Amino acid sequence: MMAMPPDVPVIDIQQLVRRYGRTDAVNGLTLRVPAGRCYGFFGRNGAGKTTTIKCLLNLLRPTSGTARLFGLDPGRDEVAVKSRLTYVPDQVAFYPWMTVRETLDYFASFRARWNADTERALLDQFRLETRQKTSHLSKGQRTQLALITAICPEPELLVLDEPTSGLDPIVRREFIQTVIGAYQDGDPGRRTVFVSTHLISEFEGLIDEFTIIEEGREVLTLAADAARERYQKIYARFASEPTELDLAGVQVLHRAGRELELVANGNSGAVLDRLKARSPEALTSESLTLEEIFVTTLQAGGATA
Amino acid sequence: MQFQLNFKSGKPVYLQLVDQVKSAAASGAVLPGEPLPSIRPLAELLRVNRNTVAKAYGELESQRVIETVAGKGCFIRETSSPFKKDARIKLLTEEVDQAVVQAHHLQVSKDDFLKLAADRFDAFAHKRTRAENS
Repeated sequence: MMAMPPDVPVIDIQQLVRRYGRTDAVNGLTLRVPAGRCYGFFGRNGAGKTTTIKCLLNLLRPTSGTARLFGLDPGRDEVAVKSRLTYVPDQVAFYPWMTVRETLDYFASFRARWNADTERALLDQFRLETRQKTSHLSKGQRTQLALITAICPEPELLVLDEPTSGLDPIVRREFIQTVIGAYQDGDPGRRTVFVSTHLISEFEGLIDEFTIIEEGREVLTLAADAARERYQKIYARFASEPTELDLAGVQVLHRAGRELELVANGNSGAVLDRLKARSPEALTSESLTLEEIFVTTLQAGGATA
Repeated sequence: MQFQLNFKSGKPVYLQLVDQVKSAAASGAVLPGEPLPSIRPLAELLRVNRNTVAKAYGELESQRVIETVAGKGCFIRETSSPFKKDARIKLLTEEVDQAVVQAHHLQVSKDDFLKLAADRFDAFAHKRTRAENS
């Protein structure tokens, strides 16, 4: 297999546009994912996440712009690209007449590598019966089977499109643990995850960088730790209602009488100093979670638009 | 040892792991020679990126809190700092400064602050002695 120089991003999307009729589903999106990351791709329903992923997988052709995987064009080098990645869609479908065993063998037949030990371990862990017909599996079991077919080939890139929506909390938890354990453990430098989701809190600990998109455009790209450091929710309570409070550069969430709750974006130190100067009775600050950052970012965008 | 992660603390997740191991070692909750969990099961348990745990362990190793034995895993080391005493005190000064600033805003007096520091030293020493004798 061709070795990839480490500086070539696993995913490199430049000015991607994909139009359906008169609608721009993706409208000038640019993002790049270096090898070894777990990259979150966040957006509301209809923001353009699935369309972007379909362009990466050559299920759709871009209207303009480029999408490159491992430095290759998925339209021209489709086999070379697809042999290095696997994909778990939100709606998993298998041939209903096949058993679990037959389905796994069928998927393995397309792959240069197939880790039989991992397959056995995951079948055990998920308590999947190999003689069961796939048509008899529950939604959770179908997702687990799809995850096994995605992990056993030990791909360099694992693409997950809303993988845990509609699953119960235990299956979700197991799903994420499997991505961390069985997938990431193999060769961490060559294990990249690209996950599109709006169940952000579930993936909080896994994501090390993310992009938020809205209306087909990138709104925010940050490393997760940097984002949590930058966005702070500050609560202050004063002895009496404060007057002439300088609230420039902050987003006020709630203000009633003596109480004030706001979000600082990269300026929490200065904001806290300003509030401290007014001798508050109580003053606390905590980071926003990635999910709260997502909500704040889209609400702030909507307010200024 | 037990880990407790808080995504709202504003402290990077890997640093939370580093600080918790250091705190556990200081209180005797883990003793020199005792192993830390392997990277994979700990990452799965905490549901954090494997790289986060690996980064924390790398940091602990460079601070000489733990050592990696090839094929066996990571173990707590005997306390030994590579720095000279004045360098070590300098490293601590910043953290003490933060506590002093915080004390000022909370209107904790110097005497109360020093008493608290002494109490905390004793508390950790007490926990460590108990752990070593059990």
